[in-house]
Amino acid sequence: IGFLFTVTVNALEGKDCKESVKLIAESTNLSEEQLAFLISGMYTLLREALRLPLSTFKQEVSSGSTQGLDQIPEDFIADFSSIVFGNRRPVSEGTAQRSRLPSVQDFKWRVDVAISTSSLARALQPSILMLLKLSDGTAHRFEVPVAKFQELRYNVALILKEMNDLEKRSILKIQD
Amino acid sequence: MAAPIVPETESIRKAVSLLNAVAAGRFPRLLSRLLQKLHLKAESSFSEEEEEKLQVAFSLEKQDLHLVLETISFILEQAVYHNLKPAALQQQLQSIHLDQDKAEAFASAWAAAGQDTIEKFRQRVLTPQKLETIGWQLNLQMAESMQAKLKSPRAVLELGVSNEDSKNLKKVFAEFSHQELFEFYNKLETIQAQLDSLT
Repeated sequence: IGFLFTVTVNALEGKDCKESVKLIAESTNLSEEQLAFLISGMYTLLREALRLPLSTFKQEVSSGSTQGLDQIPEDFIADFSSIVFGNRRPVSEGTAQRSRLPSVQDFKWRVDVAISTSSLARALQPSILMLLKLSDGTAHRFEVPVAKFQELRYNVALILKEMNDLEKRSILKIQD
Repeated sequence: MAAPIVPETESIRKAVSLLNAVAAGRFPRLLSRLLQKLHLKAESSFSEEEEEKLQVAFSLEKQDLHLVLETISFILEQAVYHNLKPAALQQQLQSIHLDQDKAEAFASAWAAAGQDTIEKFRQRVLTPQKLETIGWQLNLQMAESMQAKLKSPRAVLELGVSNEDSKNLKKVFAEFSHQELFEFYNKLETIQAQLDSLT
């Protein structure tokens, strides 16, 4: 049973477990169907428990409620608690936010000054070149005129200020 | 005097003689119209209809009209390139035997709109993609499929990047947490410090 837990935790973390599941299937005398039931049941139970942030749980409450379900052995509950509360809790990678827009993975830039161009013998015009690599693999390279850059900087500062205000407001202090 | 800015080639001479023959009345307006559109690449300043009207107004054949328009554009582009003062421009034109009244018309049109035109050329960028628009949204994420009861502020930045070839604006979306946005902002501040050190 303990080994099943390890496999489920690995699955929640997003790791590939085909090998481990095969090993388990070979080492026990459970039928394939029973094994499938067990693993998917444990996966679902753990996933739902992990969805809720730690603060909503009380350790004893959890043990109490699972005891209500038929025939769940004591050591199962102990393992379960240690996974949800203890240091066997899956690394946040697996439970991290997956449904989101791409984030900025890499941001490279350079500041140029055009000294002379084909249209102007003496230009002396600064410009900014940006290379934005996003987490979905796309890369965008574009030039930013100085005026637009100021606009970008202003807007980002504005969002930061709004975020700060939002985080201070009491709506976030409501305990649930 | 400095080296002649407008070389005296065969076609220039022909254009000058055509220009000298043209009536001076509509000339200043033609000049300012050309100046306005000078910085736009590969766009001819006049539509078919307008060209026909010009042909009539200046009593020029189609080919001659094209030569005149191209020559005027060339002269103005040279004025931009060398950042000529109006007086210098007038002198240059008179040295290639353009009539004084036409040369004066050039000088006054240049004095009026010259600096603006130069500024527009300065803003022209060579890279095909340019940042045009900036939009954003601040959201408070309450939950998602893998995690309930979140309350995490997230910002979505929308950057509109224009491509020289297509007329559409490509929208680039990026999501930021508070920390990520703060790091991004610090990088922008570094760029600003670099810009400040230039002046």
